[in-house]
Amino acid sequence: MKKETNLKICLTIILIFMTVCLSGCWDSVELNKRSIVSGLGWDLDPKTGEVTFTVQSIVPSEVKAPSASNTTGQQQAGGELRSIQVDKDTGPAMYDAITRLTQHVTRFPFYPHTKVYIFGKEGAQHGIYQFFDVQARNPDSRPNALIVVSAEKKASDIMVIPDGMEKIQAFGMVAEIKLSAQYSKYPAVTVLDFQKRIMSRTTAPIAPIVGIAKAIGPDGRETKKLRVAGTAVFKGGRMIGELNERESSGLLWVTNKVKIGFIAVPEADLEIVKAKSKIIPELQGDKIKITVDIKEESDLVLYKKRQDLTADILRELEKDLAKEIESQVMASVEKSFALDADVFGFGEAVHRKYKNEWKDMKPRWDEIYPEIEVVVKVKTHLNKIGDINKAL
Amino acid sequence: MFRLLRRNLLKRTSDHKAEAKAAHDYAHIKLETKLDDNLNRIRNILGESNDVIIRDMKIGPNSNIHAAVVYIDGLVERNLVNHDILQPLMFNLPLIKDNVSQKHTSLLEFFKSTVLTVGQIAEAGDIGSIISAVLSGNIAILAEDTTKALLIDAKGWEKRSIEEPGNEVSIRGPKESFTETMRTNTALLRRKIKDPGLTFQNLQIGERTKTYVTVAYIKGITPENLIKEINQRLNRIDTDSILDVGYIEQYIEDAPKSLFPTVGTSERPDVTAAKLLEGRVAILVDGSPMALTMPYLFIEGFQSPEDYYTRPFYATIIRWVRLLGFLLSIYLPGLFVSLSAFHPELFPTELLVSVAAAREGIPFPVVLEALLMVLTFEILREAGLRLPRPLGQAVSIVGALVIGQSAVSAGLVGAPMVIVVATTAIASFLVVPYADTGALLRFLLLIVSGILGLFGMVLFSLEILSHLASLRSLGASYLSPLVPVDIKSFKDTFIRAPLWAMEDRPEFLHPLEKKRQAPDLMPQATKSSQTRRDNQ
Repeated sequence: MKKETNLKICLTIILIFMTVCLSGCWDSVELNKRSIVSGLGWDLDPKTGEVTFTVQSIVPSEVKAPSASNTTGQQQAGGELRSIQVDKDTGPAMYDAITRLTQHVTRFPFYPHTKVYIFGKEGAQHGIYQFFDVQARNPDSRPNALIVVSAEKKASDIMVIPDGMEKIQAFGMVAEIKLSAQYSKYPAVTVLDFQKRIMSRTTAPIAPIVGIAKAIGPDGRETKKLRVAGTAVFKGGRMIGELNERESSGLLWVTNKVKIGFIAVPEADLEIVKAKSKIIPELQGDKIKITVDIKEESDLVLYKKRQDLTADILRELEKDLAKEIESQVMASVEKSFALDADVFGFGEAVHRKYKNEWKDMKPRWDEIYPEIEVVVKVKTHLNKIGDINKAL
Repeated sequence: MFRLLRRNLLKRTSDHKAEAKAAHDYAHIKLETKLDDNLNRIRNILGESNDVIIRDMKIGPNSNIHAAVVYIDGLVERNLVNHDILQPLMFNLPLIKDNVSQKHTSLLEFFKSTVLTVGQIAEAGDIGSIISAVLSGNIAILAEDTTKALLIDAKGWEKRSIEEPGNEVSIRGPKESFTETMRTNTALLRRKIKDPGLTFQNLQIGERTKTYVTVAYIKGITPENLIKEINQRLNRIDTDSILDVGYIEQYIEDAPKSLFPTVGTSERPDVTAAKLLEGRVAILVDGSPMALTMPYLFIEGFQSPEDYYTRPFYATIIRWVRLLGFLLSIYLPGLFVSLSAFHPELFPTELLVSVAAAREGIPFPVVLEALLMVLTFEILREAGLRLPRPLGQAVSIVGALVIGQSAVSAGLVGAPMVIVVATTAIASFLVVPYADTGALLRFLLLIVSGILGLFGMVLFSLEILSHLASLRSLGASYLSPLVPVDIKSFKDTFIRAPLWAMEDRPEFLHPLEKKRQAPDLMPQATKSSQTRRDNQ
C-alpha cells in the first residue's frame, strides 16, 4: 500500500510538471525588456513593393520624469520628442521589416497597446490589404485601435510631429481624431470598423486623413502641428480618393454618426443636440431608391440679425437647417458616386431588405451604385433659443 | 527500512504508556487507618516541594484526635483555611460538648455536618484522588482511624481580572473578554445566557497537567450527535499536557492538513454566547482566555460582533469590504506580478507606462522584487509583534524609512511594488481569522504567478476553491450556506439582514429548535400611538 501511494504522489508531481511545461506559457518577459509601442506606421514603396515599418514606442522614464533639457515645457512645439522613440526599417515584406528592426533596437516591441495604425499616402494608394491580413491574423493587435492615413507621402512623416499637450505623440493623434469625431467633423475609424467594411465587399472602407498644418509656437516661431484634414476612401484594397470637410460631415449624417456639433445656416449658428438617421432602401423595378431619413434637434447659439425671434423665424430657421443638412449629404453622395465607392453602406442596407435580389445585384454593384436615386428627408427641430428671447 | 522505523516508533509509544503507568501507580491505593502511614505516603508522592503544607494537629475535647490538613500554598484561600477549617477544628471543637461517637457514624461525618463552615465538601477514599484534588486547589482533611478523607474546595489564587478584549475590538457592544480562569469564563457565559439548558460538561485532559476542559452547549438547541462527536474526539486525546485552547484545537480539528481553520476561536463571551445560541458547541480550557467554537464555517471569518450591534446597512457594506480586503491580500502581489511579467496588455495603457517607468533600472525580476517585499513585510510584522514594546517603535521607524523610502530611491524596488505590498499588508488585517492563512496563500500565489502568470493563478484558485468545498467542520460543509446553496441562510453572509428578519437559526447547523424568534418582528408604531397622532 505504501508503494502505491508513493507511486501516486510521483505521478501527480509528474502530471503537474507536464501540464506546466506543455502549456507553452513561458512568455514571462520583464517590463524593462519590452518597448511599449504606441503607434505603428506602414508604408509600401509603389516601385519596389518594399514595406517600411515604423514603430513609435514609449520611453517610460521620460514620460514620468522628463530629462533636464526638456523640463522648460513639455513637448515644446517644434522641440524634440523625448518621451517617444521612432524606429523604422524596410524589407521586402512586413515581417522582414519587423525582424530587421531587431538589428537596431534594444528591446523587442510590444504591440497590444498600439493606439493607432498610420498608412503613408503613397502606400495606401498602392494597396493595404497585406497589412490587414497580418493585422487580423495576429492576436497581439487590438480591434479598437484607430486607422489613419497620412496626408504626407510616408507614415513616418507625421509620426514625429509633436502634438499638443500629450507626451506620447500617438496618443495626441488619437485624441485629435476622437475629438473631431465627437464634434461630427470626421469619422474615427477603428480596426474593427475597417475590417467590417473590407469584409462586406461592397461597402468602401474609410479612414481619417491626418496632415501637417502650420502653427505658431509660444516664442512666435512657426512650427508644425498635426491636423485632421479629410477622409480617405478605399476601394479594392487601396485608397482611391478623399472627402473634404463638408463631404465628410455628409457621410457622418448618413451613417448615423453625428452626435454633437455645430452647424451654420445663413442667418444663424446652431448646436446639434440630438441626431438620428436611417437608410431606407426601396426597389422600384430595376432601379434602387434610397431614402435617407434624418431627424435632428438643435439649440440656437447665434442669431445674426438684431431682431426678436418669432415662431415664424424659428420655423424658417428649421427649414434652412434642413436644407443645409440635405446639401451636405448630397455633396457626399455625389462625391461617392463620382468615386463609385459605396462609403455609406447602401449595399448592405439593400442586402438586409432584399435578400433574394441582392444575389445578382452584388456582382454588378459597381455599375448599379452610381445610378441609385437618393432622397434625403430631414426633420429638424429647434429646442431652445438660449437665455434671451428678445434681441439685446 | 520503513518497517524498522515504524517498529521503533511503536515500541516507543508503548514505552511511553509504561512510564505513565509507573508514575501513577499510587492512583488506586486506598487509605489506611493509620494516619501517619497515609501522611508519609502523601509526603512521598508530593515530594519535597515547599508549597505543600501538611498540618498535623491534635484536636478534640481532650486533644486526643490526631488529624491533619493537606493543601498547597498559593492555590487555596488562606483566609478560608484559617477561619473556616483550622479555627473550627482546633478552637471550636473542644467547645462542643457533643461526643463524636454518639450521634455521628464517623468522625469525618461529624466534621462535615457540624464543625466545618464551608460550602463544598466531598469525600475520597484513595490516595490518587486526594492527590489530584489537592493539586487542583482542594484542602484534604485526614484523621486517625478513618479510611476516608474530606476534600474541601477552597480554590483561590491570584488571577487576572476581566479586561477589554485586545484582539477582537468592537466599538459598540460589551467590552469584556475571557480570562485564564475557567470559573470566571463559565460565569461570563452564564450571565449572558440564563437558560437552564446551558450546560457545562467537565473533563480533565492531560496526563500531567490535568487541565480542566469544559464543553459548553445549550440543551434543546445543539444537536446531540454533535455533542457526542465532540466528546469522542476529546476523549481520544491522550497527551501529557494541555496548556492552551490551541492544543485542543489541534487535536480535534477536522482538517489538520488544511491551511484553513475548521475550528473557530474567540476571546469574547458575547461572540461565544451568540454561537452557542445558534446551536454550536464551545470548548473552554482552564488557563486559556479563548474559547473554541465549532462547527466553524468559512463565512464566520468575515463576521464581526460589531455587525450585529450596529444597524444592518453599514454592516453589510463593511462585510463586502472585508471580503474585498481578503481577496486583495491574497491576490494583489500575484496579480501585479503576472500582469507585469506575463500580460502587460491587461494594464490600461497609461498605468502600464507608469509601471514600466518605475521598473526601469530595477535589478531583480518582478517576482523576486515582490517576494522580497512580502518577505520583508513578514519580517517587520513578526519583529514588531515579538519585540518588547519600547523597541517596537524603533523597528517600525527603520522599517518605514528603509523599506518605504530608501529602497525606492536606491532603485532596488519600484514604487508601485511598495504600494502593492503595503495595500496587501493592511488588507490582510481586515479578516483577522485568516491573516495567517492569507499570508501563506499569498506566498504560494506569488510563486505560482511568477512561473505561470494568470494561468497559474486561475489554476491555483480553482485548487483552493475545490479544497474549500471539500472541507467539513463537524459535519457542516465549510462553505455553507454558499455550497451547498441554502438561500434562507444567506441572510447572514454577503448581507447582514436586520435582526428581526433572521427568524431561523442557520439550517446547516441542524439546530433542534429551528425558530429563534417570533415572525413579524419588524418594528412599527403601535395602534395607540397611531390614534394619538390622528387625534392631533
